[in-house]
Amino acid sequence: MKRQIPLALVILFGWLMLALYFIPLEGAQKINENLLDWTAIIGIFALALGIWSLISVNVDKIQYKKRDWPYSIVTLFGLFAMIVFGLKFGGADSMFQGQESYMFRHFFDDILIPIFSTMFSLLAFFIASAAYRAFRARSALATILLVGAIIVMIRFFPFIAEYTRPVADWIINVPNLAAKRAIWMGVGLGIVATGLKVILGIERSYLGRD
Amino acid sequence: MNRKVLIPIASIIVFIGFVLLKLDWDGADRTHELWEALEVTAGGFLTLMIFSFLYKDNAFYKFAEHLYVGISAAYWMCVGFWSNLAQQAIPHLSQSLSEALGQPFLGYIWHYWIPVALGLILLTRLLPESMKIGWISKWTLAFIVASTAGLFITANLQANFIAQIASTMSLPLLPDWTGFGDFLSNFDLSYEGQFVKMFSNWVIIIGVISGLVYFFFSKEHTGWFGRVSRLGIWVLMVTFGAAFGYTVMGRVSLLVGRLTFLFRDWAGVIG
Amino acid sequence: MNYYTEKITRALLPANATALLVALLLACATLNVSAQESVVEEDAVGSALVAPVGVSSVTASDAPNDAGRAVVVTFVPAPVPQSEDQALTLSYEIHRALSQDGPWKKVGAMPSDTTAIMTFKDAGGRDTTSSDYFPTETDLYYRVRSMTVDTALFAESEIAGPVQGIGQWWNSGRSPVFWFVLFFTILTLVFLNVARKRGDSLYIRPLAGIDAVDEAIGRATEMGKPILYVLGLGTASDIATIASFTILGRVSRKVAEYQTDVIVPCYDPIVFTIAQETVRSGYMDAGRPDAYRDEQVYFVTQAQFAYVAAVNGTILRERPATNIYLGKFFAESLILAETGAIAGSIQIAGTDEIAQLPFFVVACDYTLIGEELYAASAYLGREPLLLGALKAQDYAKAVIVVLAIIGVIMTSMGYEWFAEAFKVVG
Repeated sequence: MKRQIPLALVILFGWLMLALYFIPLEGAQKINENLLDWTAIIGIFALALGIWSLISVNVDKIQYKKRDWPYSIVTLFGLFAMIVFGLKFGGADSMFQGQESYMFRHFFDDILIPIFSTMFSLLAFFIASAAYRAFRARSALATILLVGAIIVMIRFFPFIAEYTRPVADWIINVPNLAAKRAIWMGVGLGIVATGLKVILGIERSYLGRD
Repeated sequence: MNRKVLIPIASIIVFIGFVLLKLDWDGADRTHELWEALEVTAGGFLTLMIFSFLYKDNAFYKFAEHLYVGISAAYWMCVGFWSNLAQQAIPHLSQSLSEALGQPFLGYIWHYWIPVALGLILLTRLLPESMKIGWISKWTLAFIVASTAGLFITANLQANFIAQIASTMSLPLLPDWTGFGDFLSNFDLSYEGQFVKMFSNWVIIIGVISGLVYFFFSKEHTGWFGRVSRLGIWVLMVTFGAAFGYTVMGRVSLLVGRLTFLFRDWAGVIG
Repeated sequence: MNYYTEKITRALLPANATALLVALLLACATLNVSAQESVVEEDAVGSALVAPVGVSSVTASDAPNDAGRAVVVTFVPAPVPQSEDQALTLSYEIHRALSQDGPWKKVGAMPSDTTAIMTFKDAGGRDTTSSDYFPTETDLYYRVRSMTVDTALFAESEIAGPVQGIGQWWNSGRSPVFWFVLFFTILTLVFLNVARKRGDSLYIRPLAGIDAVDEAIGRATEMGKPILYVLGLGTASDIATIASFTILGRVSRKVAEYQTDVIVPCYDPIVFTIAQETVRSGYMDAGRPDAYRDEQVYFVTQAQFAYVAAVNGTILRERPATNIYLGKFFAESLILAETGAIAGSIQIAGTDEIAQLPFFVVACDYTLIGEELYAASAYLGREPLLLGALKAQDYAKAVIVVLAIIGVIMTSMGYEWFAEAFKVVG
């Protein structure tokens, strides 16, 4: 039982979804849409497990005074504050309006957004250090990568751009396309192979042991 | 007092100081003014806290990081709850429950019980291991992984695979031949010229084939096969270099945007 | 939701870009107004003319390969006006009715074209309350109205129909996909059989990134530091993530054998649940179920950069001996890989996201490129079945190379039908 039922579900739903792709019939497409809806609904239950994990890891840290435990209080404060602000009850003039709540919006605007944009802008610093790393290329392959990068970067500089642009554009449009196609085809094949291994029941490490 | 107490207290004092500086005491709506001052100061502080990571891991970064994790996890939970459960499942399952959540009842559809049941099955993982019931949660995992695997096999074959083969196949390797004289008189090296186009088609086809050869796993990459495979990895590396160079030039503009906020909108308060 | 999406977009877009967009929209709106005005002017001139000749040979047939909510209408446009007092046809309106006597409903319009047979696809949805509703398996009639500058001056075509929109059982446009799935399934099954007989003697070429995994686990054990395994931002719907699970299973088994630790911070809740199951069974396979703790695999958050901030913190505070990034990665790939490189960890990465591969190649010690990620699980386990599947993958690749060569030769010789046969429609 422990082994057979999950395997039966895998084979049933795997091949069903595969078959639905070829059937344009309305009923078939409805099943397809419903299955996707189901996944989203299941996702919210899984999220409950996730939040539970987040809470228990942090409570654990506080309880046993593990390293950096005071910061776990910050995480739990943010989590519970936002959950409370996200509640909705008590009619139109209540403080609790779900996602429309004043505090919910302001926590989003004043805390999430600044941190989000700053993290995003950190990319510029990291790319600088990555570029430095690339410029110390030690192997033949890294040197080829570097040459490709330099040709394209020169494209952006004034004065010489006029001469280098055709070469850079050619690299972007031609060898780049060839490499992308080779990767896409390989990936496409890898996806099909992995998918088939799953729905044939050969690959089931994601189900764990019995 | 040790540093662990001193730093937070000093930070709070500096924070309040900035709020007070930003506060416009003559404003008509005092509460609104206070909120605005808090918002701008919080935004600036958090920006600096995250940037401090570039120097090294420190208490300020840890604070911002932990706050960010807590708030964002709850944010996505609320969004997920309302959009998936409250607006999608419950309005098809229970009239009283959907009204309690302020959602219109959309008519009973039995099959919405299936994901709810699968979701509840998943929650059996939270029960103590001694109850030996957690194993049924694998039904849900089996359902999700298998149905998405089935779905993506075909979707990927179409987009990533067959479409790419078809467009590679439709590249002609010979010019429109209308005689030698015509070919020579129309010869030009520009990007649009027939010569460059033909050359590019050859490069694409050789590039694709050698790239695929590089991805052969069950044959030794020696002899001519090894040489083709090496050409393949070179083509891949040139491409990665080009993409890298392109992004380097692009990402710098993001930083400029954030620094503009810091120096104009925020530091403007003090200056 | 719109409020929040807009906020995020605004945080990323400089204000002047928004201003530019608004200016462009305004410009378009102005252009539109002037275009309409010119029509009104012509209107006054055209009223003295007589109606044009209507279109001919109107046909209506069920659209193929669909759910039965579309009909294809074709017609032959009338020749250009022969006399000066005949109004010029500017556009065609396609009308639909449930009976020959109407009432008629306009379902679409096309600009005038006198050169070819014109085709119009009338398609809609199943929502009866929507204006887009298309009745399936119902008799429908179509006619085409030739419109002139004067809305009162037009010509009707003859009526085509009845026709029904009928759903099909098979999408023939997708046949190439079907043949390939069939071919590949058979190939896989054949090689599974071969592998069963020959065991693990099938040759596979060395893959540096995978050889490094063993070495990395050994190093972690020596240093007494954990291994960080990041499954990326993919959901359980991404096959790259599923491929990563199989690798995680094998890595955690080895980790358990070497008596060291693996930490797996997760981004997606379903991925988190599956990852817990995978790691737990890895420990069980190694015969050390007691060594597994639930806190090793934990959920962080579903916000991309909050997740990155947390993983960065882990890299700098726990100082893992090895960081393994396998799965789907987006903009965060660079931040993670650079932080790990600065922290001095050995890094093994792999993704099928082409845009992120360059960053991994630059900042990591080993990178699995595209398909190598999908092949890696066979390498780590060396289970005969997985090796067999890998062999099938290689044969499929050989077939593609041969087909591509035949295809370009055929195209170059002018036989374009060969390449066309591989195109998937719809």
